[in-house]
Amino acid sequence: MNQYCLKKDCKELHAFPHIVEFAYKKVNAIQFDSLKKEVSAFLRFYYVIEGRFDWVIDDQVYILYPGDLAMILPGQSFGGEKDLLGIGTINWLHLKLKQFDRNGKMLMGKWSRLSDREANTLGRILSFNNTPVLSRLKEAGTIFQNMQNEFMNQEIGQTVRVNQLIDELLILSARHLTRQNNSRRDFPQIFMKLEQALRENLSHQWTLEEMAALVGLGNTAFSEKVKSYTGFSPLNYLINIRITEAIKLLKKPNVHVTDIALDVGFYSSQHFATTFKKLTGYTPSEFRKKHIPSSDENL
Amino acid sequence: MECIITIEIGTGAIRIVAFDMEGNMLGSTKGSYPTFHAKPDYSEQDPEQIFITMLYLLKIFLNEKIHPKKHDVQCICFSSAMHSVLPIDKNGVPIGNAMVWSDNRAKKEADELKESPLGKELYYRTGTPIHAMSPLNKIVWLRNNDPGRFSAADKFLSIKTYILEQLTGEYVIDHSVASATGMMNIHTLTWDDDAVKYAGISKDKLADLATVFHIAGKLKPEYQASLRLHDRVKLIIGSSDGCMATLGAGVWGDGKATVTLEESGAIRVVGKEILQDEKQRLFNYLLAEGNYVSGGPTNNVGSVFEWYAKQFGDFNKVYELDDCIRNLINDAAKVPVGSCGLIFLPYLQGERAPMWNANARGVYFGLNIKHELQHLVRATIEGILYAFYSISKVLEEHRIIACLSANGTYASFPVWMQMMADIFDKPVNIKKNSGPDSVACGSYLVGATEMGLYKDLEHAAQKVKLQESYHPQEQNHKIYMKHYAVFESLSLKLHNEFEAIADLQHDY
Repeated sequence: MNQYCLKKDCKELHAFPHIVEFAYKKVNAIQFDSLKKEVSAFLRFYYVIEGRFDWVIDDQVYILYPGDLAMILPGQSFGGEKDLLGIGTINWLHLKLKQFDRNGKMLMGKWSRLSDREANTLGRILSFNNTPVLSRLKEAGTIFQNMQNEFMNQEIGQTVRVNQLIDELLILSARHLTRQNNSRRDFPQIFMKLEQALRENLSHQWTLEEMAALVGLGNTAFSEKVKSYTGFSPLNYLINIRITEAIKLLKKPNVHVTDIALDVGFYSSQHFATTFKKLTGYTPSEFRKKHIPSSDENL
Repeated sequence: MECIITIEIGTGAIRIVAFDMEGNMLGSTKGSYPTFHAKPDYSEQDPEQIFITMLYLLKIFLNEKIHPKKHDVQCICFSSAMHSVLPIDKNGVPIGNAMVWSDNRAKKEADELKESPLGKELYYRTGTPIHAMSPLNKIVWLRNNDPGRFSAADKFLSIKTYILEQLTGEYVIDHSVASATGMMNIHTLTWDDDAVKYAGISKDKLADLATVFHIAGKLKPEYQASLRLHDRVKLIIGSSDGCMATLGAGVWGDGKATVTLEESGAIRVVGKEILQDEKQRLFNYLLAEGNYVSGGPTNNVGSVFEWYAKQFGDFNKVYELDDCIRNLINDAAKVPVGSCGLIFLPYLQGERAPMWNANARGVYFGLNIKHELQHLVRATIEGILYAFYSISKVLEEHRIIACLSANGTYASFPVWMQMMADIFDKPVNIKKNSGPDSVACGSYLVGATEMGLYKDLEHAAQKVKLQESYHPQEQNHKIYMKHYAVFESLSLKLHNEFEAIADLQHDY
């Protein structure tokens, strides 16, 4: 078999409105314009079974070998170099997600067994690392193979199995991604990236699990590493950044204290005031008055 | 029990150590903050984050280690990294982040000043080499390139000045940190008229000068309450990390020099005289009235070795960088002195003393087909230490150095220390392992001297006991010197090539 291709609206995909395309393809000869550069709203996976492929993802050239998986996020461009697909055998899957934006906010849709929170964390990992090619990921090949068998055999439980396999593919990719990027064990650099992610989205109610997942570590190992590197537990480090940003905003006369509380990630102005006072001895409004003599007390 | 607390506002972390009055360590803690590099030459830190990190860490430390044991805090003595510049507005609010010691954006400004007659005069009067690190050049850079921020600035502070102002409401800078700004006259201990004028500011835009023993006002009542400290706690302004490390390493008077091996490094001596170096290669910072710390800094120590470890280290067996570094050092010990004729110039981040060339770059020289990774790692360490030796040769044009006292992370590796003793042909002493670091020791000594426990800093320095020592081996020294001759001539010869390659790298 040289080709097996399912496209949206074909009968095999009726139960899977989120799958836009699933394919297995063997290419024996160069075909011009076989893979033109294209931006799409879908999450796209391409797995190389054999051969060698020169692809351009987000304007960067990558060379893929058997076992490599390319993952193109919604909004990224993808195409072959010189618009050629290349020679060899590949699998691909185009997936329509309920939501995905470049800040990493991702929602899968009802079909997925991942909770919204988990999906969000996965989304953040994918966009945070921005590594479109995962090398030597044979397990992804097995997932594609199993998915294809499910489509072809149409046995009982097929819907559940296929959806599970997609979840698995996402989890596998995210885990592999963090491991691949952190293999040099350069914790300071990894931590810098985490710090950046926290600062960019400080109003989010970060959990330990989310932060650990972002750098590809288990909760315990993550806590220990952060503690020995920064001197603080991860959640205390987060409070540290929150109070730091709050202080900067308090020193700007025209931002409301309630807004500051929520902007920097406290769940209420009460929570903010208590934490702030415990650390500094000032309530936020006292602090503001002491530091900006001209500030309007109503704020 | 009465106790003294020291707080180091370091290059990337706050370090807090508590001592009893005799100088025994009661406890310590450390908390880090990031350095931001918005552009290649920029190095900035967030002053509010440094302040909160310090406050948070101090609060936890007091609550966990000091208050439960009923230790009574008598004084807190500060130290900080040098060369930082933080503009604040008329309300005392920071205008953006602080430019820290490693910020290199004022390269052009520094070159211009260095080539002018005024540059030489300012070097003699202020003790600070004319370099991008110097706050003088950083302020000139702001004036030339960020006029909005420059003109909105009511004051230009050091990070320590800002932190102390937050705690007490007083804008002060100690003579040590001020002597590294390029704007304080180290002979008269006043802001230098010409330097301030050259910066384009007036003296009231700088903090008030004070001795390192100065009590920087009272802790604000709110912080007294949240830290549970009484109002009699003395906040002693203290000195710079470099001066404190020198004092804390017990280096005082003739014949001694201290070597600091951290991310970057320095070699320093203490004396009553300023070293007037014709070629402006050495700094002269004021430790305390009449006592100068003179020496030269190098950019490339731990940062370069960590670079090596990340690129060439074997992470298949170990996961932590520290373990990898330890294994590499063991590998280096397996290769003969001189690395079988392989030489490394460690100038990956440009170099300060003695060449003061931001465009210098790294080189492995003499590679042959028989060299293996172990030779590379040994050559890397030797190259880093040759750079120290090249600074020490300049110092020895002015002073006799009979022995070295080493401190910092890399001083704890015997392989490094034996190599240092052999290269320098001088005994190397280090402090015993378990004790606090030299910066904290120096800060304790300043605090204790202010409290009247020592007559003066000279007596205080005698308190420091050095333990292990490494003795030079004549045979090794001879081999090293043959290699050093090549190191030295290469460093000089490559000047034009350094310029050319830095130029090419500029485009990437």
